[in-house]
Amino acid sequence: MELRDKLNILGDAAKYDVSCSSSGSKRNSPKDGMGCGHSSGICHTWSADGRCISLLKVLFSNACKYDCAYCVNRRSNDIPRATFTPKELIDLTLEFYRRNYIEGLFLSSAVIGSPDNTMELLIKVAKELRLVHHFGGYIHLKAIPGASSRLLFEAGLYADRSSVNIEIPSDKQLQYLAPEKNFASIYRPMNFLAERKLEYKTDKSWYSPKFLPAGQSTQMIVGASGETDFQILTLSAGFYKQQQMKRVYFSGYVPINADKRLPVLTTKPPLLREHRLYQADWLMRFYKFEYNEILDEKNPFLDPDLDPKVVWALRHPECFPVDLQTADYEMILRVPGIGVRSAQLIVSGRRYSKIRLEHLKKMGVVLKRAKYFIYDNNVPRELRKLYPEMIRPLLLTGKPKSDQLDLFDSMPMALPAPAASPPKVALRPPG
Amino acid sequence: MSLAIHYDSTFNGFLSAVFEIYRQHLDVSGFVAERSYEVENETPSDLFAVPFHVETSEESANRLRRAIANAASKDVLGLLETCFRSETAGIEMCILAYLRKLFAGLDPNYGKNPSSLEMIPLITIARSVRHEMDNMFGMVRFNKAPDGMYVAEIEPKYDILDMLIGHFRCRYPNGTWAIIDVKRCFGVYYENYRTHFVTVPDPNYVSAHAPPDEFTRMWKSYYDTMAIKERLNPRLLRRCLPVRYWKHLPERSLSGDFQGRSGASSAWAAHSGSVQPLPSTVAQANALASMRLK
Repeated sequence: MELRDKLNILGDAAKYDVSCSSSGSKRNSPKDGMGCGHSSGICHTWSADGRCISLLKVLFSNACKYDCAYCVNRRSNDIPRATFTPKELIDLTLEFYRRNYIEGLFLSSAVIGSPDNTMELLIKVAKELRLVHHFGGYIHLKAIPGASSRLLFEAGLYADRSSVNIEIPSDKQLQYLAPEKNFASIYRPMNFLAERKLEYKTDKSWYSPKFLPAGQSTQMIVGASGETDFQILTLSAGFYKQQQMKRVYFSGYVPINADKRLPVLTTKPPLLREHRLYQADWLMRFYKFEYNEILDEKNPFLDPDLDPKVVWALRHPECFPVDLQTADYEMILRVPGIGVRSAQLIVSGRRYSKIRLEHLKKMGVVLKRAKYFIYDNNVPRELRKLYPEMIRPLLLTGKPKSDQLDLFDSMPMALPAPAASPPKVALRPPG
Repeated sequence: MSLAIHYDSTFNGFLSAVFEIYRQHLDVSGFVAERSYEVENETPSDLFAVPFHVETSEESANRLRRAIANAASKDVLGLLETCFRSETAGIEMCILAYLRKLFAGLDPNYGKNPSSLEMIPLITIARSVRHEMDNMFGMVRFNKAPDGMYVAEIEPKYDILDMLIGHFRCRYPNGTWAIIDVKRCFGVYYENYRTHFVTVPDPNYVSAHAPPDEFTRMWKSYYDTMAIKERLNPRLLRRCLPVRYWKHLPERSLSGDFQGRSGASSAWAAHSGSVQPLPSTVAQANALASMRLK
């Protein structure tokens, strides 16, 4: 099989993995080598579905021994199978990197033989890249559930980031859909890596080797099983706190397998739900929201019409309107329409001058949403007296309903009514 | 009588012009940069303004740099330079307005205030310049020339080529590579740990010297397999990866099967799946995008 065909098969098999970020690791180019890590990550291109491609995301092999219902590479699927040799993959990575196509390698694999066997192959590639070719680019290695801790530890020494995918957000559903997996087998490598990383963090010596400098991430499928958004957010908040995850990814379920345990093949991927979950995720990571502020048992699903920040603001009218001249940074962040950058600009600028509406407009604050929630002399007075129930439709339509009367509707009223309307003449010519 | 200041389009030239404006108490209505290439939405020249040429002088530029760093900070100076790279119409007047307020001395804290009405637009412009620079880190595509050199051509909206050098030096310290700005006809050449600036009169240099090869093709086919069909989202794609960059990205501009084609230049502008070489998809998309902008 030609290398190009292998690349196509194994790239195709890896595309359902969402994670493709290259951030969080700052590495200098090694001596006699090439490649460096850019701490904010670099997107190299975007595929036709609008997802960023920054790493060469491939499977080492797609000949899997497991039979997970949701996975394209499961044993019972009839698809072409391929396996790289380490040399092929290394040459490909280095040449793509030299051409600046990619930021590094994302290597995952189907389970061939045993988990340990698979993990060893992945480590072999990473080790050779780092030690033989002095490659300083980004390497993301999948931790295979069930691999021994010795191998996981070794992976952490060469990789920038590692990930284990939880896939299904509840243990029961996971065991139902993937009979060979359960939560315990997935949590074990996660916890192991998180603990090792903590150990290395305390040792701040310049010469101590790096251990997973970009941390861990995970991914869960949304819409394949019946979890609520609240369950999903609770789980991901736990990952951020306990396992010190850098990212939790959500992947709207794309039906690829006909299976009676899964939604039918014609289901559309729940893109809007995925989008709202990411918005909620952003609120937790950058806007200092807690998961139980965004959702609770009574409202277990995110609002499809409005973003979670607006929904929170509408549920908490007691916090608004916010006076931008005096409010805390945390409170300004919570105003819908104001982002992190604008909030910082407001906080640093208000020491020198008053922040007025024209400043906000130039900063890029979305006044369309923010105007209902801030206190400003120039905001029309009637907007300040609105109840949440009244603001909601305004936010949905985008503009307040005008009370102005229609010119032509009111015309007959203004004019004196004709005394007697002339009899209607037939317009049609006779005959 | 208002003047249109002509200067040599460098930042030092602009600073010298500002220096002269202050020294000679000139009444300015606009700036004209003497560039060898065309810029989008150039300011229409003022018919009634009298042209006035200012020679670039290192000394006066450095004096003004020191004055800005003292009155505001070094960060502000860097920000102004980043803004200047945007080559946006009227950017010189925006910077001049800011400097006038800064040097007027009415508000002692003016230099520190990031939310003054003159500063906010400058911050937004600098942000978009830096944004393009960050994008360009990823969107430079090297082709391998037969002699082992890696060459890339780019066509950025802003003049950001020399902001890219540090990044690529750190990335490929041992290689030989060149990046060419096709629009501004100049490039950077790196060899033996040194960078040199070169002028490139021929805009087709890269496609003539380093045509796409097997790896380019593999990259293209890999790129195509990466898209999930059920999730196609052309609007999002165009927002993340604006059409104006597609021309120099092999994964967007190369047609799917061009093994049979000879001649690199035709391969670059080939229409995917169609026999006729013209008009290319990229040219069409560019025309559409520019029409919408107008």
